[in-house]
Amino acid sequence: MNLFFWALQTAPLPTLAAAPDVKFELILPELIVSIVGVLVMLIDAFTYRSNQRWLTGGLSLAGLLAAAASCLWLWDNPTGVTQAFGGMIILDRMRLSFTLVFIVVSALTVLVSMIWVEWENLPSGEFHSLLMFATTGMMLMASGNDLVIIFLGLELLSIATYVMAGFRRTDLRSNEASMKYFILGSFSSAFLLYGIALVYGGTVTAAGGAGTTNITEIATRIGGGPYPALVYAGAALMLVGFGFKIATAPFHVWTPDVYEGAPTPVTAFMAAGPKAAGFASFMRVFLFGFPFIAATTSLGEAAPAVHTVWLNALAVLAVLTMTIGNVAALVQSNVKRMLAYSSIAHAGYALVGFVAAGSATADPAKQSDAIGAVVFYLLCYAVMNLGAFAVVTLIARGGDRRTEIEDYNGIGFKAPALAFTLSLFLLSLLGIPLTAGFMGKVMVFRAALDQGYVALVVIGVLNTAVSVYYYLRLIVVMFFRERASAWDAPAIPASIAVVLVITVLGVFFLGIFPGRVIDAFRSVQQQQPVVSQLK
Amino acid sequence: MQQYLLTILILLPVVGALALVAHGFVSYARETHYRWIALLFSAATFALSLLLLTGGDAASPAMRFEQNVPWIGAINANYHVGVDGISLWLVLLTTLLVPISILSSWHAIEKRPLAYFASLLLLESAMIGVFVSLDLLIFYLFFEASLVPMFFLIGVWGGERRIYAAGKFFIYTAIGSLLMLVGIIALYYHFGTFDYTAMLAALRDGTAPAFAGSKEFWLFLAFAFAFSVKVPLFPFHTWLPDAHTEAPTAGSVILAGVLLKMGTYGLLRFNFALFPNASRYFAPVMIALAIVGIIYGALVAMVQPDVKRLVAYSSVSHMGFVVLGLFSFTEQGMQGALYQMLNHGVSTGALFLLVGMIYERRHTRMIADFGGLSQPMPWFATLFVIASLSSVGLPLLNGFVGEFLIMLGMWTSTALTGAWPRVVTMLAGTGVIWAAVYMLWMLQRVLFGRVTNEKNARLTDLSWREIGLLAPLLALMLYMGAYPSPFLNRSRESVEVVRSRVATPESGGSYTAENK
Repeated sequence: MNLFFWALQTAPLPTLAAAPDVKFELILPELIVSIVGVLVMLIDAFTYRSNQRWLTGGLSLAGLLAAAASCLWLWDNPTGVTQAFGGMIILDRMRLSFTLVFIVVSALTVLVSMIWVEWENLPSGEFHSLLMFATTGMMLMASGNDLVIIFLGLELLSIATYVMAGFRRTDLRSNEASMKYFILGSFSSAFLLYGIALVYGGTVTAAGGAGTTNITEIATRIGGGPYPALVYAGAALMLVGFGFKIATAPFHVWTPDVYEGAPTPVTAFMAAGPKAAGFASFMRVFLFGFPFIAATTSLGEAAPAVHTVWLNALAVLAVLTMTIGNVAALVQSNVKRMLAYSSIAHAGYALVGFVAAGSATADPAKQSDAIGAVVFYLLCYAVMNLGAFAVVTLIARGGDRRTEIEDYNGIGFKAPALAFTLSLFLLSLLGIPLTAGFMGKVMVFRAALDQGYVALVVIGVLNTAVSVYYYLRLIVVMFFRERASAWDAPAIPASIAVVLVITVLGVFFLGIFPGRVIDAFRSVQQQQPVVSQLK
Repeated sequence: MQQYLLTILILLPVVGALALVAHGFVSYARETHYRWIALLFSAATFALSLLLLTGGDAASPAMRFEQNVPWIGAINANYHVGVDGISLWLVLLTTLLVPISILSSWHAIEKRPLAYFASLLLLESAMIGVFVSLDLLIFYLFFEASLVPMFFLIGVWGGERRIYAAGKFFIYTAIGSLLMLVGIIALYYHFGTFDYTAMLAALRDGTAPAFAGSKEFWLFLAFAFAFSVKVPLFPFHTWLPDAHTEAPTAGSVILAGVLLKMGTYGLLRFNFALFPNASRYFAPVMIALAIVGIIYGALVAMVQPDVKRLVAYSSVSHMGFVVLGLFSFTEQGMQGALYQMLNHGVSTGALFLLVGMIYERRHTRMIADFGGLSQPMPWFATLFVIASLSSVGLPLLNGFVGEFLIMLGMWTSTALTGAWPRVVTMLAGTGVIWAAVYMLWMLQRVLFGRVTNEKNARLTDLSWREIGLLAPLLALMLYMGAYPSPFLNRSRESVEVVRSRVATPESGGSYTAENK
């Protein structure tokens, strides 16, 4: 042992081109959550199953709180460092805003799952540690300023989620969901990875130097144009890969099956968390990797910037996603499936804000406004969606049996607390004023109108009109119909009661007093290093 | 106190609703307590709203009781409320009709009284909010929020086809107003603010940028579509007969009395003041739709076998008058329209209450089931006749004043060219005649003649509670019919502010098809 240390001290350090700037404080949230994940796994191994869920759940919550605290500490950037690990990790407010959204999602999922693992007689330690690793993956997707880190985070997230989707091992639907998610997820990861490889190839320097996966560096290298075809192909493949992850049409087909089959708390998590994480890295790569750069080709024509191409593609995706999600949701008879299509539609609304952010890359103030709108939208969606799924979990009870819309017949006044909160979440998803959903839509549409996307906003609004029908249908079923068969209202366990209180208050808070949150999210670009613009 | 009064008016019913829920948790809560709590809070709201009549120069067009605090700094949205002569009466109409409808539900609502009264109170605060909002985002917020309680009122406590009616009501009106949201955001980027008074000030002193190209045209349409569905203007009216017929009595009263006025109020307040050129451009279309609504509503009302549906169609006809008066762009016409909004609230409210009372006794609303009711129920018959005549527009009752002013205004209107104003006025005049036909014919079949149905012979007459809750409305019918000037004086200057913007083309602002 001593010999080893001696060797360390005396041996000459290998002369690297540049020593990696290791700054652990910059990955504090990721560190905390992953360590908690490991601890939870150990607790699982060394304690009895009977009261484990309080221990693992409590520890996970504590870890998430600590991570949130570290995010808030990093918010004003006390160390003054914005990049670390050779530019692989970035610290800006966009990352921290997203990280906070992930923490909210994850914490609420922990609370919902505490009672659910009990009902299903599942090992809580495994579930919570998987959740923590998934959260670490999401956080890395937001903090990575390098395509490799983003891919790493994505895989960490995906593998944990594949397992979580199939967590009810004895249930065929859960198995099917897991299998489908795994196959299509791997497929989309391959697209993404291929895209990364092509971009790497496309960014080789004129002098024959190696390509790069660093996002800031990519922007600088392709800045002057003309662009190698490889960059276009790479960007297109990455668009497909991310499109799969955030379930944009036409890459959405896996969503309804997986969301319906997966255990309800997992569905809640998947619809809110990984989707937001997908947006985080999608936006990071495309907004900062392929920004708008006014450049001319060697022939003196305006260069067909990658920016314009992906922006137009994204606008088309937004229209398709909103429309397909909403129209398909109209005809669903299963609540989880309906909420799955609704989550597709909501990704479409968020994409509208993304398009606005993309269109504003030349104007940092407006861009951070639009990015802030997207993050705010995803936060609102996370809160109302998790609230809705918490109620669905409770009504479905053990074995996920009661998830058809008919199962909600006439329960309105039999379980008023559940039915009224679910109605509130549905109205919020619909975008009725005074709720979070309304404010989210206003922010996103506002950003898009500012960039002149009138048609896109009008299509979004018309889609909202379509969605009135299916959200309302569930409320109608709950309150206006009579129940033929006997039905006992489920008792509300303490952990779910906490979730409902938090989400209801959250929906009203974000809907009525969103000012502070919006202000914080709008400052997202505060520390983003600005790529030198070639004008 | 002055600046908080409106906020208190908005919040008091919400507090009432919360008190109801809190009371529901108490073990000694009895179902009869709920109606008392609801009545108490709505009566207190009404009493407080009377304070709006005090203070300041009554005739001044300025906003009074203003409160303006930042709401969302990031998007420059403020919580800005205030009343002027236009909104004052509509707020008072709202606060008057809610306690009356709570009283009317005294025995009628046995199912889930807590949720019922809480919905009514929440609806009240949304409605007050609509009329006092001076910030477009807040306005939209209340405008949409009012849908939800009404949706529940129709859907849970309504008649047989309540689910269909509630869904239709919500979908029509929600979809109608969605494009207005786009319009509001577009206005924000045009003016840099959501504040209505700031927009108006900028337009008046010419510091606001002109609307480019056809922008005003589209913005007018986005707003007008939302309001036309709400009014409802023909051909967007089809949700109304269903919603009115299926809603519980109190729901119909509020729907007809207040909710429909949100549409005409919005046209007057926002479309006219912000898009005067487009308003003039579209006036012929709106007038044509109003006339079609007046005559069509009356003709369809005539053949209805159901009393409530008849009253519902008469609303289509009467609201057509209001739109007609507004788009005359004359002082008489617009004042008459505003007055007619109040009249319609009072007289149609009373009619729905009376229909509800007879429905409680007989559980039918079919005209054919009645006949000769004046014999067993003389009080009912008397009040029903007075309310119907007020609706028809008999001189000395309120309906006459409004319709007369509207027709007077339309006759001299410059919104249409040539002989059209007079032609339109004459067509509207036939609407008054049709109203007399369908109302009097209905009265004859329901109240007079011999009692043909055994069940009707033993009906009990109105109770003191029922007479008492109708009394204020009947008193208003007589008062507003005999002495309208206190009402008109207060609104004159405020209406003039809007009229002066919309009546005369601004320099270079003439809006024609060419520059659209």
